[in-house]
Amino acid sequence: MSAPLDLTPAASKDSVIRPRRNGNSRNTEVTRLLPRSLLISVTAFLCAIVLIPMLYIVLASLNTDVGVANGELIPSTFTAENYSKIWTTVRLGNGLANSLLVAGTTAVVCATLSVSTAYVLVRFTFKGRLGILRGLLAMQSIPGTLMVLPVFVLFSSAATYLGVTIIGTHWGLFLTYLTFALPFSTWVMVTYLRGLPKELEEAARIDGASSMGILFRIIIPLSWPGIVVSGIFAFLLGWNDVLFASVITRPDTQTAAVALQIFGAATEGGAVPPYGQMMAAALVCAAPVVILYLIFQRYLVGGLTAGGVK
Amino acid sequence: MTLTPHKSRTADNKAPRAAPGTDRGRERRRKGVTERNRPLWLLTPGGLLMVLVIVLPALIGIFISLIDLDQYTLRDWLSAPFIGLDNYIEALTASPLLYSVWLSVSYSLIATIVTIPLGVAAAVVTQNKFRGRGLVRSIFLIPYVLPSFVVASVWRTMFQPDGVINTTLAQVGIDGGLWLNGPQSYATLVLVQIWASWPFIYLLALSGLQAVDHEVHEASAIDGALWWNKLRYVIFPYLKGPLSLAFLLSILHHINNFTLPFVLFGVPAPADVAVLPFLTYVTSFQSFRFGLSAAMAFVSLVLVAIPLFIYLRAVKLDTTDDPGGKK
Repeated sequence: MSAPLDLTPAASKDSVIRPRRNGNSRNTEVTRLLPRSLLISVTAFLCAIVLIPMLYIVLASLNTDVGVANGELIPSTFTAENYSKIWTTVRLGNGLANSLLVAGTTAVVCATLSVSTAYVLVRFTFKGRLGILRGLLAMQSIPGTLMVLPVFVLFSSAATYLGVTIIGTHWGLFLTYLTFALPFSTWVMVTYLRGLPKELEEAARIDGASSMGILFRIIIPLSWPGIVVSGIFAFLLGWNDVLFASVITRPDTQTAAVALQIFGAATEGGAVPPYGQMMAAALVCAAPVVILYLIFQRYLVGGLTAGGVK
Repeated sequence: MTLTPHKSRTADNKAPRAAPGTDRGRERRRKGVTERNRPLWLLTPGGLLMVLVIVLPALIGIFISLIDLDQYTLRDWLSAPFIGLDNYIEALTASPLLYSVWLSVSYSLIATIVTIPLGVAAAVVTQNKFRGRGLVRSIFLIPYVLPSFVVASVWRTMFQPDGVINTTLAQVGIDGGLWLNGPQSYATLVLVQIWASWPFIYLLALSGLQAVDHEVHEASAIDGALWWNKLRYVIFPYLKGPLSLAFLLSILHHINNFTLPFVLFGVPAPADVAVLPFLTYVTSFQSFRFGLSAAMAFVSLVLVAIPLFIYLRAVKLDTTDDPGGKK
């Protein structure tokens, strides 16, 4: 068990240490919760709920726009054209590049800030520490819709009063995503650092290491899994956001999330919207996120339950 | 109901303190380490960001809610007419706000209550090893992994009047009707939300199931408990904590969810799905009643505050017993 983010290390560690008296099959029999037939039918039902729409998306992305609009489940003509057309119908490539840039930078900076913040919060005592910890949790629940208008007004005022353009630049999105990602990422790091043994740090301190030396030489090298998880969450926040992206961007700085909406809205009156292309583009937008999850699944699932936030 | 039931090393430090006859000098030294050389300046970048993007806008938001701000006065918002609490009065008496509150609360509750049995069922079936369990677990996480805007775009396409759902329903002789407009849109919103969010409950339920000791399974096997009795009286009590947490967090998430209704239905919002975040957004960026919208946002904050308060009370913030640290 190398995942300190797991919610139940206590229970699972015990069961690893304790020698199992029974064979594996016996164990399964004892811990069995449902009769076999029920187990199979429930699993099949849940998988169907998930897989049927997924299968449809893949089929629709290989269908013509008209075919999707007419509600064909199985395409009458299979075509991969959608995957080449999406790049010209809407500036999806531009959107993806912007999303990668903004979400990627957010992830790196957020991970760096969250590990240092969490280090101070976990290893030192000072006045207001519990207030900050509580604030980290509370801030995860601030509705974005509450903040979007004032943030917009503030950023536009920066142009009027200070001559700094933020609206429509990558900076606006970056600052916003960074701030909204930071509480959750820091909380993930706080739970992670609590699981790290203190002895190494104490030894380093006796050897004369400073607090910063400990952070760079001990904490950061030991907490890569946590740092990766908090970075990924920051990335996902940026990648998945629609609210701020639709208010404080210009066509040039549009993210993939906004670009995808254009497929549906472009030809709303009259002609059939390019639904087939939209499905293909949806899969393309989902791909980076799915790949990230597949690579880091083990860590991410623990991190999700530790922070308990979608 | 704690987030971090680790038996961490920090907790072990308590032991010498609690023991009778503790060496007082040692205790003082240990305290000193956490209070000397504190690199508190590391908190400043995060703190500055919080001030710039959360505190300052929150104050601006309060100010905006007290002025009459529209697209003409926006450029020079500091000199817009001050109208006191008029926006709040209008929001509460002459706007669809209260209906939106009802929509938000009822939709959050329905979606959460339906997802809990689904999530628990998913956790129960994947608790035991079987061939292909890894694959099934990955499948269960798909709706969770997909970005909200992708989920909403896809369902929007499927729910079109001539879309795949209605054509499929027509084949079995059911008239699907309009899913994205009119009263049925509420059902659409709830359905899609359920599809997208049950894996979250599944994750938390799974973490609860993993806390059940092997002895508990053995004991109930020796007692010859039937499977439903075992589930009901032995296993489910273990899930109470994780599920209450899941319940609260789901409600919070659904009440704050903007992306799903926004992408699913687009603007202008159908009246039947104008949930709070949607209504706030539309009032700002469609009707350009910025002051009114800010007032609505603050009223909706009260709604979020209730589950949030319960959540904060329940979460154990700290595992060390610091001087002055309240649990």
